[in-house]
Amino acid sequence: MDLHRFGMDTITLAGPLEAKLRAMRAAGFTQVMLSARDVVGHPDGDDAAVTAVRNSGLRVTGFQVLRDFEGLSGHLHAYKVDVAKSMLQMCHALGSRVLLACSSTSTHAEPDIDLVVADLRKLALLAVPLGIRIAYEALSWGRSVNQYQQAWQIVERADRSNLGIGIDSFHILATGAKLDDLVDVDAQKIFLVQLADFMWNEVPSFEDRINTARHFRVFPGEGVHATDMISLVRALDAMGYEGDYSFEVFNDDYVQLPLVTVAERARQSVQWLAQQLPQRGVPMRRELRAAPSTRLR
Amino acid sequence: MNPLDAGAEPTNPLGIDGIEFIEFATPQPQALGALLQMMGFAAIARHRSREVMLYRQGPMNIVVNADTQSLPASDGAAPKVSLSAMALRVADSAFAWKRALGLGAWPIPTRASAMELNIPGIHGVGDSLIYFVDRYKDLSIYDVDFVRLPGADAHPPAVAGLHFFGIVQTVEDGRTADWIDFYRTLLSFSVLPGGQYFGILPKGTLMESPCHSFYLQLIEPPPGAEDIDWDERLLRIGLGAPDIHAATQALHERGIVFIDHGAVQTTERGALTQIYPGGVTFELVVSHLADAAQGRSAARSEPHEAASQHGKAAIHASPIGSGA
Repeated sequence: MDLHRFGMDTITLAGPLEAKLRAMRAAGFTQVMLSARDVVGHPDGDDAAVTAVRNSGLRVTGFQVLRDFEGLSGHLHAYKVDVAKSMLQMCHALGSRVLLACSSTSTHAEPDIDLVVADLRKLALLAVPLGIRIAYEALSWGRSVNQYQQAWQIVERADRSNLGIGIDSFHILATGAKLDDLVDVDAQKIFLVQLADFMWNEVPSFEDRINTARHFRVFPGEGVHATDMISLVRALDAMGYEGDYSFEVFNDDYVQLPLVTVAERARQSVQWLAQQLPQRGVPMRRELRAAPSTRLR
Repeated sequence: MNPLDAGAEPTNPLGIDGIEFIEFATPQPQALGALLQMMGFAAIARHRSREVMLYRQGPMNIVVNADTQSLPASDGAAPKVSLSAMALRVADSAFAWKRALGLGAWPIPTRASAMELNIPGIHGVGDSLIYFVDRYKDLSIYDVDFVRLPGADAHPPAVAGLHFFGIVQTVEDGRTADWIDFYRTLLSFSVLPGGQYFGILPKGTLMESPCHSFYLQLIEPPPGAEDIDWDERLLRIGLGAPDIHAATQALHERGIVFIDHGAVQTTERGALTQIYPGGVTFELVVSHLADAAQGRSAARSEPHEAASQHGKAAIHASPIGSGA
């Protein structure tokens, strides 16, 4: 477990994209987890954001987030397919090989598993020519899919090579999901792991979870679920997960602190995590690889 | 089992029936045209509104597209010839296109001018496109969009029984399964069992069309090739021949050079041409498809009177395929 496997999340830091990227590099990070807002919110436009990322020397861990995609029908489905296409094109432009898609919260979405599977297969197929993998993540306030076990069942049933799950420790800690079931998950099909702790012991309601997730997350080692966090990371390590981690830390305080201060906290969190794992050789690092060229840009 | 039993999956829902044409894109169409002619193709017709030429031999149509809007952006390097599209014969192109979009294909914008056909298509690998063509039996797309060259034989015979056999596609390391999903889902291609190869380059994964008349070969970079350029794209076409020796001899006499040393030298299984300017190579593969290809060729040669009975006589006022 070393710094090279971690991407800092742009959503944790305040300020312009370029300053965020500089702060991450200065703290020793080699990856960055990007958000669509980094691109469309750039004052000089999308292309400037893409250039900043490509010139940063940071590998892109992933791109977030496609919301409420699956389970819709008719014009709502068509609308979301268009949104997904734009997200995929941004993801590709940034050189990201992973698009994070969160389980639907929409009251318009059908809880029909066959429909959900069909929609995710469609999303995965849209992503093939662009060289992108889809990480489907169970939001802890997802309407019908809110546990990682459910996300895995759907991914397994969809059976598409570039469709896997994303795991976010927040949602696992928030729902008290059992880690025992991780043994059923194929480690090769976990496309992204996002880590964050939080300050409250329990978040029983959807409202509690949403509020906490969006404002009160902290880095691993800073929250009250350290023991469970360690268990999760150890379980992932033991099952052979060799992919990337990112710090999905939404925190109202961190976006009003100096970037260098927050980036340093992130670096210390990596050190804390490393101390919790059995020492072994540095895992094979996936090399920076340009996305395949395509006319879909 | 009765194929109409409830629950039986159709194996060829699009009614795919081989390749209608393969398209190359190049800013130097004359050079590629000269190479195609050495390979036995004859220039047949010119597009009505764009710098696009049709070449043919036997059952094979090749379109050479020099239309600037169709060419990939140049990066300042020497101009490359790209294998830019494959057009599949299907039972109903509108149905095929809608089905593909419903499953997650990216549509291509139509570029048809007045009185030209809108051939529906989707994005394939890299910059390439996949078209769906349903006019190939008693009426051809070329009758509408192309003007025949004066004096050109509309049906030049194939050299040594050559016919389309397959296309080789490069795939990024670890992405073969993604592309298998793509072709299996959209086009109902199926993976041949491991170890079953044709020709002299037994690598990668072979997929067979649902009509059993065409193959896609997906190849990942060889081990230790991290530094070589391995963009995902359509790399080359494979031509089938019933007798490789006869085919290489006939093409050699026309000026084509085959690699005659190392691992890819000509055998009775196949042959590979040298790399021609723009990066073009052709692979020959000893083929069991010859009879089927000849059968389709014969069907194409039938007069077009049948089409007239459908009230579409005006469409082929200057027919290419009728021999008129």
